[in-house]
Amino acid sequence: MDDIKWLQGKGKPGIKSFFQDILTRGLIDTVLMPAKNKKGNSYAWFLMNKDGFLETSDPIPPVMTIQGANILKNITKKGESWSKTAVVLRPCELRAVIELTKLEQINLENIILISFDCPGAYPLTQYISGDQTSLDQKYDSSLYTASFETERNACIMCDKFTGQGADIQLCFLGQSDDGFLISAASAKGKELLKDVNGTNEENLEIKTKKRDELLGQLQKEKNEKRQVILDRFKETIYGTDNLLNVFSACINCHNCRRACPICFCSECYFESKALYSEADNQLNRATRKNALRMPSDLLLFHLGRMNHMSISCVSCGACEDACPENIPVSLLFSLVSRDTQAVFNYDPGHSLEEPLPFVVYKNEELKEYEAHYTKRHQSACNCNTK
Amino acid sequence: MEKIYDSQMNVHDFIKAMFEKNIVSGLGALTQLPDNKGISYSLLSDGFDFQKCMPFYPVMPANAAIAVSKLTRETSPSSPIAVFLRPCELRALIELTKIKQARLDNLILISFDCSGVFPFKDGKYPTEDTLKRYDQSIKEAKINDTIRQVCKGCENYQPEGADIAISIIGRGVHESLALSFATEKGKSIQEKMGLTASEIQPSTIEQLTSDKKRNKQELFKNTQISNLDELLDVFDTCIACRACSYVCPICYCKNCYFDSQTFQYYPENYAQRLNKKNTLRLPLDRIFFHMGRLSHMGSSCVACGMCSDVCPVDIPVSEMFKAGGQNIQGVFNYQPGQNLDEPMPLVTYQEKELHEMED
Amino acid sequence: MNDIKIVAFLCNWCTYTAADLAGTSRLKYEPEVRIIRLMCSSRIDPVFILKALMDGADGVLVGGCAPGDCHYSKGNYYARRKVAVAKTIAESMGINTERIRLSWIPASEGPLFAEVVNEFTEKIKELGDNPTKNEVYL
Repeated sequence: MDDIKWLQGKGKPGIKSFFQDILTRGLIDTVLMPAKNKKGNSYAWFLMNKDGFLETSDPIPPVMTIQGANILKNITKKGESWSKTAVVLRPCELRAVIELTKLEQINLENIILISFDCPGAYPLTQYISGDQTSLDQKYDSSLYTASFETERNACIMCDKFTGQGADIQLCFLGQSDDGFLISAASAKGKELLKDVNGTNEENLEIKTKKRDELLGQLQKEKNEKRQVILDRFKETIYGTDNLLNVFSACINCHNCRRACPICFCSECYFESKALYSEADNQLNRATRKNALRMPSDLLLFHLGRMNHMSISCVSCGACEDACPENIPVSLLFSLVSRDTQAVFNYDPGHSLEEPLPFVVYKNEELKEYEAHYTKRHQSACNCNTK
Repeated sequence: MEKIYDSQMNVHDFIKAMFEKNIVSGLGALTQLPDNKGISYSLLSDGFDFQKCMPFYPVMPANAAIAVSKLTRETSPSSPIAVFLRPCELRALIELTKIKQARLDNLILISFDCSGVFPFKDGKYPTEDTLKRYDQSIKEAKINDTIRQVCKGCENYQPEGADIAISIIGRGVHESLALSFATEKGKSIQEKMGLTASEIQPSTIEQLTSDKKRNKQELFKNTQISNLDELLDVFDTCIACRACSYVCPICYCKNCYFDSQTFQYYPENYAQRLNKKNTLRLPLDRIFFHMGRLSHMGSSCVACGMCSDVCPVDIPVSEMFKAGGQNIQGVFNYQPGQNLDEPMPLVTYQEKELHEMED
Repeated sequence: MNDIKIVAFLCNWCTYTAADLAGTSRLKYEPEVRIIRLMCSSRIDPVFILKALMDGADGVLVGGCAPGDCHYSKGNYYARRKVAVAKTIAESMGINTERIRLSWIPASEGPLFAEVVNEFTEKIKELGDNPTKNEVYL
């Protein structure tokens, strides 16, 4: 097996030293990963070369401050990376990167995507206002056992928590905390892994098997949990009235869209002149119903945004972290995206080759969405759709 | 000082009367959404149940000047609309009118002496008990101790420039409305409503004003930044989400300069910077954004506090920007929102001024 | 102190021409200044100044025609206001305002340009490195 190795190293410092090692040995020139911020009460993204590798860097931080895909977009939107850069991403960040690459917002040339078995994350505000030392401890100790419990909606129901699709995957699940598996899935990844000083030991197979077993069980559990949570949530929001309940505290700040990696437009349609209207028009709308919530078009914004991003929604929960009113937007957007993605059988972030549903079509598909003009017309044209 | 008249109506009757006398055909005010779906600024018409209208409700889900700007930026209404605005919202509206983002024609500006609002975070409205204590503090002309920091230190809580000004401090929100009419528009409404009898004495607010002034000084002291380290500390958790700019009534630009191509760099640029420093915190320009934004809106900052309410990582933006804004305004002796005819500092000049800035 | 960097925003008609004159007159002055030409000093935006300082420039010099002499008759009055905003923000945000300087240098005053640059450079040397230069947590 040349595409999987076992690296010795205890806990998080062990994982970190892997990055230090590949940097110092020049296997990569630059690494992009989170590290503690100045005060140490949160995390931030850092681009580091071998002389600037921060002591406080943490490839698997307990909190997602800014969606990593947005950061990678910043760097490579205007062209390919100048040097061999490894980017460490949570699985949901990785999926967003894949989507943004398809949307031509990210250039993956010279980029090595590294992802890992993600335990989830704390809600951003909970982490920042909490006691970071104990939160960190609790988080780090759960890395190998998948025992981390969080209140972050997106993470509770996450069923795609492995680095599947990355060039390099770091696998902790089912391992003892004195080392981890590292596997390469692409040519880029294999090229890097070739020079990594791992132990190709004999019991590699046992370790892999151990992970696979735990993984299979976990994925099944989490997927069921996801369906249950989303189904239950669906009941609470069904109908315009209930939907409005969810958004009762929405202050129209559009911060969900700003935090969203998929919402890449630099000028949002829902902030554009298209939605401006004259005073009399608005007064008419108000008169018709006796009242008009201001600024208007709140639901239009959210529903419209779903139209634009739900097909590529990776359920990362950045929207909910950024919502000042704590509206469960990640549940809502995940729910909608579950349905829209199912229409096209599309799995966002799964593969670069899989085209975005809106840019392709098949001649024969989606018949269930067609309605014939009349019954007579249907028989006349001799269609045999049901 | 304008004379204050006792309207002998509560706020709901007053609103009803304005519609009945055809003084207005629409009304903008904080309103309870149907089925207890929260409180939101709304545009209301004749047939609305005005008992649900709560203009004095102490939260600010959005700065109402933004709502009024969105209402009038294309055209002014062809029939009069009255809008309830807190003094800071009113000032923001005046500033927005100066930069042609709102029109005041056919708008009747109603404001009141404001006792501040509660932070609106995590979708939590103040409890019944909190509201009761708040009403009590209005009656006693005192500062409630759980309102927002900026509100505690707000000296501009009087409704200057409104067509109709309501005095509630020292009286309470459930008393009959005490009204004054400072403008021509206001005076004509006064006549139409027939409110010329029963003058009342203004409440004593000297103590309140001096308490607020003291709070402000304290606030400024607590949020003062005196070196780069402190600056970095304050914004250390900032996730560059720009929420502060989106809810800011003064930040009206549709395409923010700081989100523009100017600040989207080529990979080579990142390479150069990385070579120099070996470590780069991303996104770049995170702290610069706040300073740049201050340079754009600081001279018009009305200290409404929305930016702090909306910050997902609880950075005291408005507290700092209130100080930063006032420093800028002080340089030009400019009072944002005070006078529609006073030009904004950066579009005008005097030949003899600011000699301390040159050499 | 590392190599100093001073960014100078100079108006085309006066200070930039003065810099040109200083050069053609072979006047020696401190070489740390990087000149950016503006058609008028009023093109300065407080943002330019703040950006330079946040990205590690040690000083920012804004140069224009003397009041009353603006090629566009009143641009420099606006420039003065904008510099005032930048300085005030720097003050509020804990950045040394001495790193920002506004000077009126007429086109014919090559020697004055050299003098201003020398003086400002000296001042900057006194202040030392701009702490943003090596700051990682920016």
